[in-house]
Amino acid sequence: MDAHVAALARAAGLDKALAEFPDDVEAAAAQALHNAHVIRIPTAPAAEPWPPMRPGVGLGDTL
Amino acid sequence: MTAPHWLAAAEIAHAYAARTLSPVELLTALLARIESLDPTLHAFVRLDADAAMQAARVAESEIAAGRGRGPLHGIPVGVKDIIDVAGLPTTCHSRILLDNVAAADAAVIARLRQAGAIIIGKLSTHEFALGGPSFDLPFPPARNPWNPAHHPGGSSSGSGAGVCAGLFPLALGSDTGGSVRNPASACGIVGLKPTYGLVSRRGVFPLSYTLDHVGPLARTVAEAALLLDGIAGHDPADPGSTPAPARQFGRLLDRGVRGLRIGFIRHFHERDMPAHPEVAAALEDAARALQAEGAEIRTVTLPSLTEFAGINRVILCSEAWSIHAPWLRARPGDYGQLTRRRLLPGAFMTAGDYVGAQRRRTQVIAAVENCLRDVDVLLCASSMDPASRLDDAEETARTYSRQARTPFNVTGHPAVAMMAGLSRGGLPVSLQLAGRYHDDATVLRVAAAYERATAWHEKKPPIG
Repeated sequence: MDAHVAALARAAGLDKALAEFPDDVEAAAAQALHNAHVIRIPTAPAAEPWPPMRPGVGLGDTL
Repeated sequence: MTAPHWLAAAEIAHAYAARTLSPVELLTALLARIESLDPTLHAFVRLDADAAMQAARVAESEIAAGRGRGPLHGIPVGVKDIIDVAGLPTTCHSRILLDNVAAADAAVIARLRQAGAIIIGKLSTHEFALGGPSFDLPFPPARNPWNPAHHPGGSSSGSGAGVCAGLFPLALGSDTGGSVRNPASACGIVGLKPTYGLVSRRGVFPLSYTLDHVGPLARTVAEAALLLDGIAGHDPADPGSTPAPARQFGRLLDRGVRGLRIGFIRHFHERDMPAHPEVAAALEDAARALQAEGAEIRTVTLPSLTEFAGINRVILCSEAWSIHAPWLRARPGDYGQLTRRRLLPGAFMTAGDYVGAQRRRTQVIAAVENCLRDVDVLLCASSMDPASRLDDAEETARTYSRQARTPFNVTGHPAVAMMAGLSRGGLPVSLQLAGRYHDDATVLRVAAAYERATAWHEKKPPIG
């Protein structure tokens, strides 16, 4: 396994998964890299994420 | 005369009113059918026969006393096992939550009880509404009534299989990447993902907060609208809930499609993910059928399916990781392998990946909104292939992601999947219709017109 992947997995607290299911951890790392690459991230700094922030909307006294 | 298990909800209500059928008689017939068919179909992870019979007796006495509660009174409803029913375990089909007994009803269950519906039991799902059909979980996977060797779709697998097989007329499912519409497509029934925020998710085990929806599965469009009436409504305890518009989502079902503009997203199934020829042919047939009913069909273009799917996966994996990280660290072996492999990518995604996906999400939403200024409803594929064989893990893995449902989880627009034909192998093929925010009624209107024009909903699986 790539040492960088193993280090990231340990940093995420996945020592047990790394020991018991190394193939799954390795496949997950590859999948994450693939997913992030298919998205055309906006280059315009003003492009905001969803959902938009809305003033006056919250749980209020239901919490 | 129609057998009780094939009666539509409205027909059941009429029969109750006419005293030709009672809730206890219907439930008794359904329980016998479940006993006969569910050992093969595995729609249930937990049948709650005693409580259901008690609810049927209450409904029967109320209806007899003239205290009817409306069109869902005495109608049995199955519930995906990620939705809390007080006193029953919400297992999410997982070893992780085998002993997770719900203390209270989910908001949708409370609404259904208020309407007099009968909660018949908890239904099979892919583990945590994510994994896939698996044989390494505490319960077997559900099977397709059209051919039990095949997948019934998922993740709301039991909801689709049970409605399709006549085990119950209505069911609840959840939809984060298409999990109501996939079983509807595979089983040849109707599944609606409502507008995001229209149906409360309180008491539903989350998979991905900004993508999760709860929706109805039924054998007809009218029944899906009826169940949506029963579960929709603002819930201040659900942060994603929006103030709901007027109910009666079936109010437009008889209006037809004359004068409506329908945008046909051909590139989803022609270029982005080329569909099985029988699916592609069914979609062209559907466009022709809607045109013959008076709709104007226009070809429209949206961002690619690949990108919608990528956005969905990054957001889903990131949000799901924040939920599952403690269990993935401590109990990775208690997940099925498919689920573990689908959750672990979240550990390798960065905050930048997540926010980037949400920023691009805003743009693709704008693209769909822009398109819906020129057309009233969108038509496109749901699944690109008929359902795979359950014992063919490779084919299931190949076909599972070949679908066009995730765009409307990313955008939150209402979308319905329904039967559009039968393959030469005897399995349903499907289509999908989507519409403007909070215009679920128009989506259902077009679906109802298609249903009347083609009558695919009258086809029944070969199980008696």
